[in-house]
Amino acid sequence: MGAIAHDGMPREQTHAEVTRDVLATLGTPSRGYYLALFASIGMFLVGLVTFLILLRDGLGHAGYNPPIMWSVYITTFVFWVGIGHAGTLISAILFLFRSPWRTAVYRSTEAMTVFAVMTAALFPIIHIGRQWIFYWLLPYPNARFLWPNFKSPLIWDVFAISTYFTVSATFLVVGLVPDIAAVRDKVSGWRKKVYEICSIGWTGADHQWRHYTRGYLYLAALATPLVLSVHSVVSWDFAVSIVPGWHGTIFAPYFVAGAIYSGIGMVLTLIIPLRKVLKVEHMITDYHFDNLAKLTLFTGSILFYAYAMEYFVAWYSSNTFEQTTFWRRAFGPMWWGGWSMIICNAFVSQLLWFKKIRTNLTALFIISIFINVGMWFERYVIINSLSSDYLPYAWDQMNPTWADWGILMGSFGWFLMYFLLFARTFPIVAIQEIKEMIPMPRRKKGAH
Amino acid sequence: MRKLIILGVGSALVAVAALVVAGDRPGITAQEAVVRDSATAYVLAATDTAQLQGPRQPIFFRHDIHAGQYKISCQYCHYSVSVASEPGIPSLETCMTCHTVIGGASADTATRNEIAKVRTAWNEKQPVEWVRIHTLGKHAHFPHMRHIKAMGPNACATCHGDVARMPQVFKVNNVNNMGWCISCHVERNVSRDCTVCHY
Amino acid sequence: MPDERPREMDRRRFLTVLGVSGAGTAVLSGCSTDKVEKLIPYLVQSEDQVPGLPTYYASTCTECSAGCGLHVKTREGRAIKLEGNPEHPVNAGTLCARGQAGLQGLYNPGRLTSPMQRNASGGFDPIEWDAAITLLAQRVGGAGAGVAAINGYGAGTFSSLLADWVGALGGRVVRWQPFDHEPIRAAGRQVFGIDALPSHDFSRARQIVSFGADFLETWLSPIENQRGFAEAHGFRNGQMARHVFVAPRMSLTGLNADQWLGVAPGSEALVALAMANLILSERTSAPADANALRSSLSAYTPEMAAQAAGVEAEEIRRLARDFASAEPSLAVAGGIGNQHRGAVELAAAVNILNYVAGNVGVTVRFDQPIDSGDGYGAMRDLVGRMDRGEVQVALVHESNPAYALPQSAEFAAAFAKVPFKVSTAQVLDETAALCDLLLPSLHALERWDDLAARVGVTGLMQPVMEPVFPVRHTGDVLLAAAKLVGGALAGFTAPTFEAHLKAAWAARAQDNADNADNAWHDALRRGGLYGAPAGPAVSLAANAAPAAWVAPIFDGDGAYVFAPYPSSMLSDGRGANRPWLMENPDPVTKITWQSWVEVHPDTAAELDVRNGEILELTSPHGTLEAPVYIYPGIRRDTVAIPLGMGHTEYGAYATGRGVNAADLIAATDGAGFLPYSSTRVSLRKVGRYEMPATTEGTPRQLGRHIVEAMPLPLAARGLTVRQAYEEQGGAHHEYNTEREVQALDGWTDKQIEMTQFGNYANEHPKWGLAVDLSRCTGCSACITACYAENNIPVLGEEEIFKGREMTWIRIERYWEGGTDGEALEARFAPVMCQHCDNAPCEPVCPVYAAYHTPDGLNGQVYNRCVGTRYCSNNCPYKVRYFNWYAYNKTAFPEPLNLQLNPDVTVRARGVMEKCTFCVQRIRSAQHQARLEDRPLADGDVVTACAQACPSGALTFGNVKDGTSRVAIAKQDPRGYHMLEDTNVRPAVTYLAKVLHRTEA
Repeated sequence: MGAIAHDGMPREQTHAEVTRDVLATLGTPSRGYYLALFASIGMFLVGLVTFLILLRDGLGHAGYNPPIMWSVYITTFVFWVGIGHAGTLISAILFLFRSPWRTAVYRSTEAMTVFAVMTAALFPIIHIGRQWIFYWLLPYPNARFLWPNFKSPLIWDVFAISTYFTVSATFLVVGLVPDIAAVRDKVSGWRKKVYEICSIGWTGADHQWRHYTRGYLYLAALATPLVLSVHSVVSWDFAVSIVPGWHGTIFAPYFVAGAIYSGIGMVLTLIIPLRKVLKVEHMITDYHFDNLAKLTLFTGSILFYAYAMEYFVAWYSSNTFEQTTFWRRAFGPMWWGGWSMIICNAFVSQLLWFKKIRTNLTALFIISIFINVGMWFERYVIINSLSSDYLPYAWDQMNPTWADWGILMGSFGWFLMYFLLFARTFPIVAIQEIKEMIPMPRRKKGAH
Repeated sequence: MRKLIILGVGSALVAVAALVVAGDRPGITAQEAVVRDSATAYVLAATDTAQLQGPRQPIFFRHDIHAGQYKISCQYCHYSVSVASEPGIPSLETCMTCHTVIGGASADTATRNEIAKVRTAWNEKQPVEWVRIHTLGKHAHFPHMRHIKAMGPNACATCHGDVARMPQVFKVNNVNNMGWCISCHVERNVSRDCTVCHY
Repeated sequence: MPDERPREMDRRRFLTVLGVSGAGTAVLSGCSTDKVEKLIPYLVQSEDQVPGLPTYYASTCTECSAGCGLHVKTREGRAIKLEGNPEHPVNAGTLCARGQAGLQGLYNPGRLTSPMQRNASGGFDPIEWDAAITLLAQRVGGAGAGVAAINGYGAGTFSSLLADWVGALGGRVVRWQPFDHEPIRAAGRQVFGIDALPSHDFSRARQIVSFGADFLETWLSPIENQRGFAEAHGFRNGQMARHVFVAPRMSLTGLNADQWLGVAPGSEALVALAMANLILSERTSAPADANALRSSLSAYTPEMAAQAAGVEAEEIRRLARDFASAEPSLAVAGGIGNQHRGAVELAAAVNILNYVAGNVGVTVRFDQPIDSGDGYGAMRDLVGRMDRGEVQVALVHESNPAYALPQSAEFAAAFAKVPFKVSTAQVLDETAALCDLLLPSLHALERWDDLAARVGVTGLMQPVMEPVFPVRHTGDVLLAAAKLVGGALAGFTAPTFEAHLKAAWAARAQDNADNADNAWHDALRRGGLYGAPAGPAVSLAANAAPAAWVAPIFDGDGAYVFAPYPSSMLSDGRGANRPWLMENPDPVTKITWQSWVEVHPDTAAELDVRNGEILELTSPHGTLEAPVYIYPGIRRDTVAIPLGMGHTEYGAYATGRGVNAADLIAATDGAGFLPYSSTRVSLRKVGRYEMPATTEGTPRQLGRHIVEAMPLPLAARGLTVRQAYEEQGGAHHEYNTEREVQALDGWTDKQIEMTQFGNYANEHPKWGLAVDLSRCTGCSACITACYAENNIPVLGEEEIFKGREMTWIRIERYWEGGTDGEALEARFAPVMCQHCDNAPCEPVCPVYAAYHTPDGLNGQVYNRCVGTRYCSNNCPYKVRYFNWYAYNKTAFPEPLNLQLNPDVTVRARGVMEKCTFCVQRIRSAQHQARLEDRPLADGDVVTACAQACPSGALTFGNVKDGTSRVAIAKQDPRGYHMLEDTNVRPAVTYLAKVLHRTEA
């Protein structure tokens, strides 16, 4: 991947340049963009058709072989929830920590979060047997005096996901306001009107900035705990059960780390090509990728430890059920899944100890793909613990079908579609925050 | 996004509907307003049934006359209500026990016609296909006998309304809404265990 | 093919019978109750039908020749379940899988709806009944002595009517069933001079030796045998009988044995004779006249027997001594799976063995001989006569020789030479397809009839409902035809068969010098006449010496002996069109919907084949291909295929599935019987693969203590399973720590408190189940009972491939040993929802569809379930089943939908379902008790599985009531909970199996 600025730090620019360059991303897009967009819409339609077929005939089309009652859908659900987390981490936590390198990437990651959660939210509905009464999972007053079972982790899920969506969406929108205003001032015609409405009368007045920064800070503070809570809740979908291979106290931290790991993987996958397509290489630079890679390395190492711990505990528990499950994970019929998870996550991430690799975007991109695949397999393998639990007579193997792949593909289409549309409509790089980072002009030598 | 919106809106509507349905439970008073007094109802002809509530039946059988005027006990026709979960629909034979001799007042041709229908049906061995009014979801089992046992032989009106005053039977209470059952079970402090009815 | 023809039934007539149609099949839907629904009353209220309440009629089972008594449960005028008749001496209230599936014969979608006539193009055209009968009369009248009939129905008024009818014309009837037990009858003649099939009293035997007789599956009177076997072999008061199985292949009966002697095919008789010899020489108390046998027996030493059979001589000695010392003991022989050319010699040898051991008259009884037909010999004659063109009109009733006879019998060819062939088959089977006129008869549940399954026991049948289709009782057809023919048949004046039957019974009553009317009604109520006639004194016939034993001849020079055996589900193939039986896994192999060939692991290794790989079997008489099932319970030199599959006609469920094992065997007449197991086959690997439709995951317990067993001596000492395990050097294992246990103390009570309201409080029973594994034989009758009671859909092969069977109760079969010289042992355990007090499925359900009821049930509310399936993931027993498709719409094609139980919701797509402990039975019992102002008594509620179980292995009841049978059973030291580790507190207690090993 081509020439990027020498020392890694973003080349200093004038505010005007920043605005210009960022707004350039909203100009008429390249053919590549359209190809990507239509491809993703196509994928989404595939998923939609698959879902309609499931709605008509029932879940039988999917590769459920009892006792495997959850399969690719829940796998993908957890996968997407996980993706979301990197966004919030970067945009909220790093904001609170005032780490400067986040500014260039946080907008895109935050958008990613919102869309990832939107994608994940579909799966609880898709995977249940009677999709048309999914709302029974919500607490609402009714004549039958019936309420959901708040003891059930699946209800916790419903709340976790909806909260997460609300907060991260608000966070994104609020962060956008000043930039939208910037766009508004540049564009003309009907688009101007649209942006006017979206920018809710932002003039950049001092008091507005004061409220804005304060509000943004609070939202960041509000979003931060969610990074930990949401995926902990999701992990309890498994940890609360008595299924060998699920029933582990390590799950919450293990899942959170995995989530951030996979999230950053997805960030890399997205912005490495994006910065090229949108020509913002000089804003998203080595410096950012280096830091992202370090974060990946860190969370990847946590995963490494978690995997090791799982196997150790299984052995140490001297519980035959646990032991069988993990033995089969490594050497059973699904060994390939088990190993691809360990290699893609635990081992591949270790390559990032080398700065050469951290700053080589081609390498990073490939690694990020490995991460995405590996993390998907992690969930797949964990869920496959169902294939061999207590009664050997009932054992069977997971066996995904076109219906599973159709929905999986659809979810990617659904996600990318929104992401691409977003990248075209709103500044993918936070204008005002970049500007904040630029030293005051007066101190600047040789202004042109 | 479209899918989400549709599903979301749909769910909201259903939720609201559930509430409305729950609220809609006319008491006995509401019902008297709509039921005509059987004295005036006596001269009703089959052709008048259109103005009456409830579905029109193949034969204009009048509960207000049989159960109201002549005070025939419900269980004479609904013979199994006190012993079985099903109340029992009277066989044509039961009708004919009286209507072999009773043909209706000679002046009242309307009534005579209706009774004639019963007789022809009996002669042609063609059962009458009554329109069902009170139907439960097939996943709910309602043991009539237990309710008769607990609330006495005249408890029918509790759910079915004052049928003895209805020229043409109609649904007074929304009996196939679970809220109807539950509220009563709560009032009377009896079991609310799901598998009492659902299995 | 009947399947293409529209199967339109007269709905109107049905509903008039049904009464409240709404009360019929309850189909789960949202709340779609506002669509217009009709109420169609009875024209005339039948005396004995009350809508909403079941009515029971006594009847008799015709699914095999045993003639068990039935109670037919009807609702709103349609039969919905077949249950055992408690008064009947043969089955005493229990019923096997095949018997219960008789209901699907009644409602079979393949049933013929009207008479059919062969048309020019070779197809069939429906015709009017009168025309059909006229046609029959014409042809019969012309044929005279050329009339022949094949009658598969048992002895009784109908069979004698048919015999008289055909006889009057000068023709003759062959009364034949594929699984005749001619060798045993022949041996009876030979040894005792009695030409009859003895009945056997297993319950008294202390030592049972079966020389290949599959007495738990199809041999003579299976349910009676099983009941007796469970009595004898079930552990009680520190003792139990010992069961040894001597045969090349372990049938289900073999898997229930304490020891298996895998003797060489054909050598069983030697073992029996050697035992007899030994007993006679060592035992003083043998019957005096037995000594006459000494000389002739002396040749058969244990050594020579052992040498021929390929077992240890010591084994035979020990076996003989145990056999003699156990008083009484019982040896049984025969069985289709073991019917080689030496079958008569074997049966004779076993007769002698029983005689010298003093069992004859005690456990082997000739006082109630079991009905047997004319035997295969007569069938061979008939085929010959047909072949010679001596038969002008052939009448086939309830028999399917075209399928059941091996190809080499060339039945079809001979049958084709008969100018006019009539079949009364209810379903177009292979034989009917060859006929010119089809006169479909009524199903046994729709007609008046009787069946004399054995001397002294005559079962009566009455119509329990309006006929499903407008077809006619063959008896009526015969009588109607007789009137048209006149002449020779003028004597048959009865207006209907019903009248004829009643007359016959009236005559019988006169014999008993009894009021005919009372006798009739009494018989009708009790389901028949059950007498206990005194038998003849049995002693050795003058020339009872065992024929000099010669090794039986096996056709062909293949390397493997071919042993086709009767499938315990499909019997002689008549079960193949009953979905319940096709989906009920074979108790031994757990395979459904398919044929398979059983090969020993070593043989499989030699041939390098895995499960499901297709093998080609070639015998001198034919060739067929079947997928491999690797079975450690068969000799290396033997391969076996179950009979009953491979139909070419016989309805959509049966046609084109698997192979007909009979095609490989010789049809040569071995002394009046069909020598099934008399050919050698060569095996060839075809290189194709067929996925086995098995319901089994892994057949080994992996040391998880799922199905526990303990040796007899330890059980006799009253040790618990755990104590016995440690006694045998097993490591001590703390199932749940004190804290884990304490943590849950009072949990149940809390659960119950939370679900109690006002006056509903504190009057709850707590339902529980006890399963005695020392009685369970794995016969799978409980499974069919559950299908019938709970409207469980049958999914078919495709779904089974995905492991999606819906059976709420399954029999898990685990192998122990069987490798490196260890004896193979099978452990059976019925697994249903355990209704845990600390149920893992309940807390994870987001909508309370799975919850705990106040009476200790693990409730499953179908209409509340949204289908997240978490409950199933979290269920350690994996007893929850999900409706992946709309099975309620596909699994019950008309008229099978009429079998549905109106008391149980038919589950719709997308919901979870599971065993409910037959909550509908609990509720209706509670309703009844409340109506009668009395408390529930023990035994008021019996689950379908417990009711059907011929072994009486299941006990259901209220555990709070300390005096209930189940509460007492749960006190048994053998009691344990499956997967105790999980601490889920199941309501089901298993009583460990007891192993009666040799050293015991």
